[in-house]
Amino acid sequence: MRDPNDLRRAAAEGCAESRLLITRRAMLGVTAGLFSAAYLPRDAMAADGDARLLVVVLRGGTDGLSVVVPTGDRDYARLRGDIAIPTSATIKLDSDFGLHPALKTFGKLFARNEAAVVHATCVPLRNRSHFDCQDNLENGLPGIGAVNSTGWLNRLLSALPSGDPVVKRGAIQVGEAPLILRGPAPVLGWSPTWFSPAGRDIRRPLLSVYDEIDRPLYSALTRGIEANNLALKSDASDDADVSALRKGFRGAGHLLAEASGPRIAVLSVGNWDTHSGQGAAEGFLADRLAELDEAIADFRKAVGSAWKKTVVICATEFGRTARVNGDSGTDHGVGTVALLAGGAVAGGKVYGDWPGLAPSKLFEDSDLKATTDLRAVFKGVLRGHLDVPAGMLDKSIFPESAKITPLTTLVAGDDRQRTSSAAETGRPVRQRPLPPIARYRAKQAGASL
Amino acid sequence: MALEVAAARQARIAFQRFGLGPKPGGPQRIGTDPKAALLDELDRPNAALITSGSLPGYREACADSQRDFALPYEVFQQERRARLVQALKPEIGLLERLVTFWSNHFSMTVWKDQAILGTIGQLERDVIRPNVLGSFTQMLLGVMRHPAMIAYLDNDDSIGPRSPIGKSWGAGFNENLAREILELHTMGVGGGYTEADVTAFARILTGWSYVRGWEADNEWNGGNDENRGQFIFRADWHEPGGIDLMGKRYPAAGQDQGEGVLRDLAVHPKTAEHLAFKLVLHFLTDEPTEAMVAPVADAFLSSGGDLGATTRALVDLPEAWSLPLKKLRTPYELALAQYRATGTDVPEPDDFWTFTEPMRALDNLPWEYGPPDGYPDETAAWLNPDAMRVRLDTSLLFVDMFGEDDWPVPGDLARDLFDSALSQPSKVALRKPADNRAAMALLLMLPEFQRR
Repeated sequence: MRDPNDLRRAAAEGCAESRLLITRRAMLGVTAGLFSAAYLPRDAMAADGDARLLVVVLRGGTDGLSVVVPTGDRDYARLRGDIAIPTSATIKLDSDFGLHPALKTFGKLFARNEAAVVHATCVPLRNRSHFDCQDNLENGLPGIGAVNSTGWLNRLLSALPSGDPVVKRGAIQVGEAPLILRGPAPVLGWSPTWFSPAGRDIRRPLLSVYDEIDRPLYSALTRGIEANNLALKSDASDDADVSALRKGFRGAGHLLAEASGPRIAVLSVGNWDTHSGQGAAEGFLADRLAELDEAIADFRKAVGSAWKKTVVICATEFGRTARVNGDSGTDHGVGTVALLAGGAVAGGKVYGDWPGLAPSKLFEDSDLKATTDLRAVFKGVLRGHLDVPAGMLDKSIFPESAKITPLTTLVAGDDRQRTSSAAETGRPVRQRPLPPIARYRAKQAGASL
Repeated sequence: MALEVAAARQARIAFQRFGLGPKPGGPQRIGTDPKAALLDELDRPNAALITSGSLPGYREACADSQRDFALPYEVFQQERRARLVQALKPEIGLLERLVTFWSNHFSMTVWKDQAILGTIGQLERDVIRPNVLGSFTQMLLGVMRHPAMIAYLDNDDSIGPRSPIGKSWGAGFNENLAREILELHTMGVGGGYTEADVTAFARILTGWSYVRGWEADNEWNGGNDENRGQFIFRADWHEPGGIDLMGKRYPAAGQDQGEGVLRDLAVHPKTAEHLAFKLVLHFLTDEPTEAMVAPVADAFLSSGGDLGATTRALVDLPEAWSLPLKKLRTPYELALAQYRATGTDVPEPDDFWTFTEPMRALDNLPWEYGPPDGYPDETAAWLNPDAMRVRLDTSLLFVDMFGEDDWPVPGDLARDLFDSALSQPSKVALRKPADNRAAMALLLMLPEFQRR
């Protein structure tokens, strides 16, 4: 037997990582199609030119005013006190904004027009509750009042025609099961765990038992091991000893890179709830941003040549108070940033209408006002990057959102010809999951007719 | 002496379909009449109670949940550990399976609100456990009159528009709780209620709230230090007058109006069918048929919603003893089965990550499922490639953490757990690994151990 103390040490690191994810989960409705044969690289129908999308949910409420500093706003330094980041320390984006110095890779991508920022954005709900606002980010609904809903990315999978590459190749959750992918459409899953993998001495006899008496377990386990190896594959230049967060981004990159792999991946990154001691150019938040930045670099390397077809969106449930609080931190707020990166992004630009930080401009005398509904960002990427019909976006994917105009200019080459018609609404989608009892009753009703 | 194969299979059904997995020697102990052993657990409802004196009662849990965050979080961790400790006690564990089932029927996540974090364990101990073989009406009423559910389904600020406060504040009602009671907790989708019924029920439930910390601090809205965190019916928030629901008039009666609806819903034929279906789905098969559902629903209805009689009808189904064990243990059930099979105690707080980390990776942490429909009961939700890989790796983690030199040889342990129901391929495979570490991890992954 191994020494449990070694495992305790490994766990202390591994668990610290997984604690970074706020515990916040949603089980997927149907997962029967997980890692179907179509997913693995043997598929002759594979097309490498498909668009890729990575959605990163930053859980905890990321302080947009520290991530992208409004260097041109005269009220910023006064409001922020000892957590204000001096303009000289930021990476200059344009005359009005500077990037947090920890975001080195993102800054380089911005300079190459492969990264962009949307500032002063927020989910439609403005109640400053982590739980409700994360729900709102992921369910894509107009505001509060909805529980037990499906996620907007799952509705995308349900609504698109079955021949669409996104539907054919699917979407994958990396790590915890997020609400954004919850619903009837099957999705894939991969968890970047730190547990030591079982060796051949266990796998071989086990798989021979499965092969003989339990084929479903055989099929699942072989594909699970294969997919894990694919996600974790590394070359000599990779540092193997990285955090679970970075492993997750690498794995997402490897999986999206596969010609017949999934086309959409979702990741969660936690620990943005900086109520105290958040730091400025250095400190707690800077460390979190540096890790995210390294993870984006890892992803870019892993996804390889598909980077040019990729959009990465990092979005969070809300921003933080404009004023520093008494603990050198910030409390739950409203307006914040969304970060976009990838070869398909129309980068090098800070998007959005800057409302200003003057006392009269603050939302409820507290927060950066949100001038862009986050749904406009999501809709813009889906419309511009994945060619999702506008009618489908307005009705099925983001219900009752016709008034929220997609920010299609976020995506490079948005002037290209779209093949989808704006009026298409696609296959019917469910805004609530259908429980098993409904199927039973439908069958009973059919039987008694 | 080894059991007859047929008897060993019946024992395996008792332990796995209805229980939490055998402890070593279990099949021998219940072998002659596994069904009788199972029914015997149903004759001892008090075995479901947790009697530890250190866990908080209603008043204390509620009050603590409305102070700082650290205390409710600590209580939550103690509660979760206590639940595991309890699950290792019984020989078969049907009552503990029922506790998990009914708790999941009223699923909540502690991360929605501190009011849930600090009281979910108390709710399960004091409302679910005393009623798992008792009255569904009492269970339903108890859950809905609890601050955890009020907070989870957003009823705490639900105000009747025509109530005194509704008129003066211009406030309105929230229909989440009413909708989910109908859709998830009682009649179920397709139960025949309408959108108008949802709205009517939501109006009836206006004023069902709980005392938030700031209300107790400021003696506001009826709150004070005595009732901090507790359920409260706010009469001046309640929609006045009688309200029609599903063709029946519920006259104005304050809190009793809503309780009247809950009492009717609890024993409605559609509720009986829904609950019977869910029990069959959870315990027996992914494909419940009318032949299985109807007798259980009948038992529920004819007993006025007695869950003891309902469970007996489930155990009495011929299919319960004939259907193959094709469902997959949930990760939570699997963890408990590992402890029970190897005689391992629930890990101490310092090592409790050995429970939570695999559950986190497998998406099955108790009391942390976000949506209100509860962890799924269908095998397809659990049997997927990545989850099987994680099951394998975490089985090895379990062996590495808790393996002891005095553990039995894996082949012998497998015989003590499954007796003659151990398949020949499994028997052969257990002899292949060169060391006990690998063989023990293999044992925990055998179809005999994973399926139920």
